[in-house]
Amino acid sequence: MAQEEKSRSGRGSSSSTILQFVPFNSLADEGFWHRLSSLKLNKYGIDDSPIPITGFYAPCSHSQVSNHLTLLAESLPIGENDQSSMPAFSRGNRNRCPVPGTLYNTNTLETFHALDKKSLLKEEANKIWEDIRTGRAVEDSAVLSRFLLISFADLKNWSFHYWFAFPALVLDPPATLVESKRASEWFTPEEVKSVSVACNGWRNSSLTADVPFFLISIASNSHATIRHLKDWEACQADNQKVLFGFYDPCHEKDPGWPLRNFLALISSRWNLKSVHFLCYRESRGFADMELSLVIEALITAPQGLNDRQLVPNAVGWEKNKNKYVSRCINLAKSMDPTRLAESAADLNLKLMRWRALPSLNLDKLSSVKCLLIGAGTLGCQVARMLMAWGVRKITLLDNGRVAMSNPLRQSLYTLDDCLNGGDFKAFAAAKSLKRIFPAVEAKGEVMAIPMPGHPVTNQEEKSVVDDCNRLYDLVDSHDAVFLLTDTRESRWLPTLLCASANKITITAALGFDSFLVMRHGPGPFSSAHAKTSSADMDNLTLSDKGRKRLGCYFCNDVVAPTDSTANRTLDQQCTVTRPGLAPIASSLAVELFVSILHHPDGMFAEGDITNSTSSSGSSEPPLGILPHQIRGSLFQFSQMTLVGHSSNSCTACCDTVVSEYREKGIEFLLQAINHPTYLEDLTGLTELKKSANSFNLDWDDEKDDYDDDDDCVEI
Amino acid sequence: MCVLVPAEVCSALHLMFKPHKLLLIFFPQDSNEEEMCAVEEEAGFCEIEGAADNATLVQSKHHEAHFYDFHIVYSSSFRVPVLYFRAYCSDGRPLLLNDIEKDLPACSSKVLLETKWSFITLEEHPFLNRPWYKLHPCGTSEWMKLLCLGDEVAAKNGLAIELYLVSWFSVVGQVVGLKTPLEMVKSQRN
Repeated sequence: MAQEEKSRSGRGSSSSTILQFVPFNSLADEGFWHRLSSLKLNKYGIDDSPIPITGFYAPCSHSQVSNHLTLLAESLPIGENDQSSMPAFSRGNRNRCPVPGTLYNTNTLETFHALDKKSLLKEEANKIWEDIRTGRAVEDSAVLSRFLLISFADLKNWSFHYWFAFPALVLDPPATLVESKRASEWFTPEEVKSVSVACNGWRNSSLTADVPFFLISIASNSHATIRHLKDWEACQADNQKVLFGFYDPCHEKDPGWPLRNFLALISSRWNLKSVHFLCYRESRGFADMELSLVIEALITAPQGLNDRQLVPNAVGWEKNKNKYVSRCINLAKSMDPTRLAESAADLNLKLMRWRALPSLNLDKLSSVKCLLIGAGTLGCQVARMLMAWGVRKITLLDNGRVAMSNPLRQSLYTLDDCLNGGDFKAFAAAKSLKRIFPAVEAKGEVMAIPMPGHPVTNQEEKSVVDDCNRLYDLVDSHDAVFLLTDTRESRWLPTLLCASANKITITAALGFDSFLVMRHGPGPFSSAHAKTSSADMDNLTLSDKGRKRLGCYFCNDVVAPTDSTANRTLDQQCTVTRPGLAPIASSLAVELFVSILHHPDGMFAEGDITNSTSSSGSSEPPLGILPHQIRGSLFQFSQMTLVGHSSNSCTACCDTVVSEYREKGIEFLLQAINHPTYLEDLTGLTELKKSANSFNLDWDDEKDDYDDDDDCVEI
Repeated sequence: MCVLVPAEVCSALHLMFKPHKLLLIFFPQDSNEEEMCAVEEEAGFCEIEGAADNATLVQSKHHEAHFYDFHIVYSSSFRVPVLYFRAYCSDGRPLLLNDIEKDLPACSSKVLLETKWSFITLEEHPFLNRPWYKLHPCGTSEWMKLLCLGDEVAAKNGLAIELYLVSWFSVVGQVVGLKTPLEMVKSQRN
């Protein structure tokens, strides 16, 4: 035959080189591991018997990148039946030639490493050899590329250890390369055209598209036809040039791995010495004769290949970066439900930013640390709302335990939290937040807040001092504090600490059917508001630019009597409120907080009122106005915004009190706690009340000043 | 490229997109290997017979490449086609959005930032139930209307599915660096 003549011309055995093959590359898709995990959990359990799987590959389709042997979710059996003969995939897909394989999935990492790799490889190679011997490989040639996979799936941290092997029967002595050329150079121009047409036809027919080994028979008129391997004898009958073709996944100038077992088949089955191969490669879905190779090889009849008792040796474990070690892939980011929940939550906020609020600062929201004082109706709702805004660091402080009546109104608790005397609210709340969204950093602090005018005994004094220090540390280590308790006195110490440290402070207070939500102004000692002489107590604190700082919750105490009716309901201890009130107030508190975060002046911003033009003069902030106080009533279904400036006599935030605290520290606090009138004496409130009662004229003057500050707008 | 649409659209698409695998490959400047776990080398394995033979070609430095799969899925709630995609390395490790954004053409990241029409989100693939990235469809019908505004024939008779898809793809493709050849539009119009 022409082939034999070609092989003898011009090449002596001394100059012949060993035919070398480019190893197969594996690619296990994430979907494969996902499906394996679910099968392992739901079906296999601890059963580690070998699993029949299917790999997929296709001819190389890019001149710079080789194709892989790919495993997908469909590679694993369907799972319902134990002996599922029905494949999970459909045939005839030109991009997915199915190849049988075996998976050994172990139960521990130790077992994985202890697997006898040599014998496993030999076992798979034996199967290939059997298929060659019995002729099955001629009928279903894909079995020539049978592969092996060992794995260990660590489902706790979504790591997968694995190792592929592509068993190749070793020819001994190895085949030698006579000549390797581009197909476009080896064939005549007519042949090139005809072969291309024939190949494209083979690839386009769903009957043959996924058959990776074939024969190309070229007639004397250059007409090429592609035939199945089993038609070999028929091809011999006509006087034709016959090449062995196969889908070559490799893009390089050397042939790909599937050729190895093809060679073994050819030499053992048809006992040929000299063969021509077409390493078929494609480009953009069509045969690429530039990329495809025609290789002429010589096979010396190896010992024992015809001896049915002797099985050839095999090689084929996949290298990992040039070493013979297993691989490991971690898929936590795309498989761990917690991480998926996190990215889904982020998605929501990002959508908001994209569609409605481009200036939304998600980084600020996710990094701000919020301290919630009180884990009751207000605390639970505020915590949930903060999480919905993407806040991830939340600390809840509460001394109490969950009571049987709580779950109805306090949205983080369920009946289980009430049993056995009730869990500590702070801990139960933090746990509940984590159940809702595992990625939240929620912490509970169980402690009582020292309160002014509630004297303590000597024995109690130490723990009160500890509580003060603990509260100081908590305020110091957070960026924003929400005052959500149900008594007035319990808000005093946190307010003072926040004023001294200039932390964002939000107060929410409930009456039966009315609420107050406000943000405290900055403390008296901050860069935006210069400290005035402490001697001058009759003037309001003025900044350099003549702006007054906004008041805190306690500044209201000195507001003109016109507001006292509104105040009275708020100051009382209210455990009975209309259920709808707490969620409304909580939501407003959180929205107010987010607005502060997005205002260029932050907590130093002026107080807006509804329908006001922006006080800062710049373009309108995207989240709208930033009020100081919001007071609402369910009785009227109404809500209004107010502005109140700080008072020089405020028992919590005036500069006298804050500087006294800064100077005397715990001593000052103990004084305030133990002596009911201490604060009022210190701030001159006592004096103020006396003068208010005795001098109408003075009172009127002061009233005028205050009137300017109170702009009430009914909505 | 895989296209998943209602049956009546299938045949139209079959003509348009030859069913071959669309392989989009980016070669990153620096190949990073963070996600691979530390692998201990198995002691003595190399000495075991059968690890390699002369016929195994020792490969030179392996180029790290990123592979992209694209699916076009019809969204019945938005009633427009949606481009889904995912990216992974040659070992199957999925790529995250910040890696993908480095691969996208420079002008594309600009497009993503500036226009209101394109936004990449991570959502569950409707058929494969795995997280895939997609170009959010909520602006699609608006900009498709704008795109076809100047076309009198379209205004009168509506757009044939094939032409619609080619036009749609010519826009979304740009975001992921896929250019639609002009011939494709011309052939559809005839």
